[in-house]
Order: sequence, then structure tokens, then C-alpha cells
Amino acid sequence: MPDCSENYEKEISDGKNARNIKCKYCNSVILTPSTAAFTSFEFQLPLIRQSKINEQNPETENVSLFWAVTDMFTFQNVGFSNTVGNNKYLTCADCEAGPIGYHDLSNKMSYVALSRVIHS
Amino acid sequence: MAKTYDYLFKLLLIGDSGVGKTCILFRFSEDAFNTTFISTIGIDFKIRTIDLDGKKIKLQIWDTAGQERFRTITTAYYRGAMGIMLVYDITNEKSFENIKNWIRNIEENASADVEKMLLGNKCELEEKRQVSKERGEQLAIEYGIKFIETSAKASIRVEEAFYTLARDIKAKMEKKLVSKLYTPRGGHQLKASELQKKPTSWLSRCTIL
Ligand SMILES: Nc1nc2c(ncn2[C@@H]2O[C@H](COP(=O)(O)OP(=O)(O)OP(=O)(O)O)[C@@H](O)[C@H]2O)c(=O)[nH]1
Ligand SMILES: [Mg+2]
Repeated sequence: MPDCSENYEKEISDGKNARNIKCKYCNSVILTPSTAAFTSFEFQLPLIRQSKINEQNPETENVSLFWAVTDMFTFQNVGFSNTVGNNKYLTCADCEAGPIGYHDLSNKMSYVALSRVIHS
Repeated sequence: MAKTYDYLFKLLLIGDSGVGKTCILFRFSEDAFNTTFISTIGIDFKIRTIDLDGKKIKLQIWDTAGQERFRTITTAYYRGAMGIMLVYDITNEKSFENIKNWIRNIEENASADVEKMLLGNKCELEEKRQVSKERGEQLAIEYGIKFIETSAKASIRVEEAFYTLARDIKAKMEKKLVSKLYTPRGGHQLKASELQKKPTSWLSRCTIL
């Protein structure tokens, strides 16, 4: 699913998330309102479902809209994957769907892709 | 930004290979769709937020890798852990006997006041049971820790186990906090408002003592 910035405008208030950020699949609350900052940059995020397993070279898509979280304990519920390169991938804590984003070990920032979660 | 929680507890799951630690922390794996990216790389830890007596508690829960044995788990691994779930499999006598070794390992390597709890997992497999509930209870009494039988497969009492452990750590921390407040040379003057905030927990502590 492509990112579409227009759709997300109402989700941003004062640069932060206006509403709860939840898992698309099971509705588990990932972040509560006003706890993550909107940010935009390009990142190749692995697809949730891979057509074949290839850990070194997963199929990815270009994602550019993120919620940035500075302290990992800001998350309400989240899973951190084992380390891959310099990152850990983020998952839903309940149904383990993911990656919904990634955690950068070098600067300790976590980024949740807007397109991989729901806002409600 | 202001802290969004009152307490942060780091918890570990320890026990023999195959007792069900990963299933207790993560989703029960028989129905896991394992063609996903995440299931191939595996999950390291989870952060969960629970509410206990009006306090927001963040739990950071770690699994231990399958190959690890009590011989190889040392201080570095236990660093910062405030609670440990000791898990055995009720259908596996050996995993129960090894709890003693795990406890010894914790005593040698973990912080002395780490809160422990004993879990007898796979409790829905009554027909294959090798370890009676009474023996589990007895061992827990011996070590002065709590005991619960769980089933990750049937989702029996798993959540209750985490709440119980978290509640015990919280009670321990609040007890420490209160004794600090009452220490004359602690350098911290106790304000009336701080005292009034916790009348119920103070009472419940008295009944435990
Ligand atoms: N019947 C039943 N099987 C369970 C239960 N919990 C886990 N299992 C099964 O027990 C096996 C081992 O579970 P794991 O969670 O991988 O065990 P573990 O303790 O993580 O093992 P290691 O990672 O090797 O240390 C798996 O086949 C699970 O499906 C349970 O409550 N009941
Ligand atoms: Mg495991």
C-alpha cells in the first residue's frame, strides 16, 4: 500500500499523533495519543509476508512516513525483534505482526511506519 | 518529555529447553504463520504496559535462547533483571528437578533481591503429567516464592502470572521507598502529601509483615 500524505494530515496535531496508534490486525494499542513525532524520510522496510525466506535479502518496500519515538518505554505494547545489522524491527506485542517499523540501535530512536498501523 | 509511566520492571524467563518459555512470552507457536519476516528473525523482547492499583507499569520481558543452559547464563545476562519466571514443564520430571539448579544459578549471578516466581507450564496436558501440583507448591514454599500452573497453549493463567510477579516487585519497591523515606539520614524530608498518597498499600504491607 503506497503512502499517501493527504490521508494522514488529520492524524498529526502539533507534530504529534492525534489518536491512538494500533495494530492493523488485532487492534492492540501500540502508542497512546501525543507520544510520537511525525517525521519523513526514506527507508526500505521488509514486507510483512515474504514470498520466500531470505534473511539476508528480504523483499522490502520504500516507506517514507514515520512516527518517531525517542524512548522505547513510551510504547504501550510492542515487540522488538532480534538484531539485524544496526536495527531491530518492531512488531505488534499481541499478534506479532510486523515489521511495523524499526529501532535504530545507533541513536536509540524507534520509527513506526504510518502505513503499517491504524489510527483510531 | 515527562515520563509516561510509574515503574519499569525488567523480567526474564528461565528454564530448561522445551518447557515453553517462548510460547509463554510470545504467541503460542503452533498456529504461527511462519512465512513472515518476523518469525524468521525472531523476537528479542516485548514491552507491555499494565495498570496496577492506578499505577502505570512498563514490563520489559526477555526470553532466553534455547541452547542456553544454567552453566552458561551468567551475571551479564541477569543484569538489571528485577523479576524472574522459573519455568518447568509438568510433563517433564527432569525440567522440574533442574529448577533447583536454575535457582542456584540465579543466587550466584543475579541481584540478591530479584523477585522470583515458579511456573509449571503445559498444565492442560493432565494425562501426561509427571509432576504433581503439590510438588510444585512444595518447592515454591521451600524457596519462599509464588507458584502457579500455566498453559501457554490453552492460555491458562499466563497473564495472571505476569500480573502477580509485577505486583510483588511493585510491593517490594514501595516498601523500600517507604523505608528510605523513614530513614532520618536519608536526606529526604517526608512531606505529608507523600504519605497520604499510599494509605492502602501501606496497610497491605503491614498485613504481609
Ligand atoms: N501442550 C502444550 N505445549 C506447549 C505449551 N507451551 C509450549 N508448548 C510446546 O512446547 C514446545 C517448546 O516450547 P518453547 O516455547 O519453544 O520452549 P522453550 O522453553 O522456549 O525452549 P527453548 O527455546 O529451547 O529453551 C513447543 O512445541 C510448544 O508448542 C503448553 O502450554 N502446552
Ligand atoms: Mg525458546
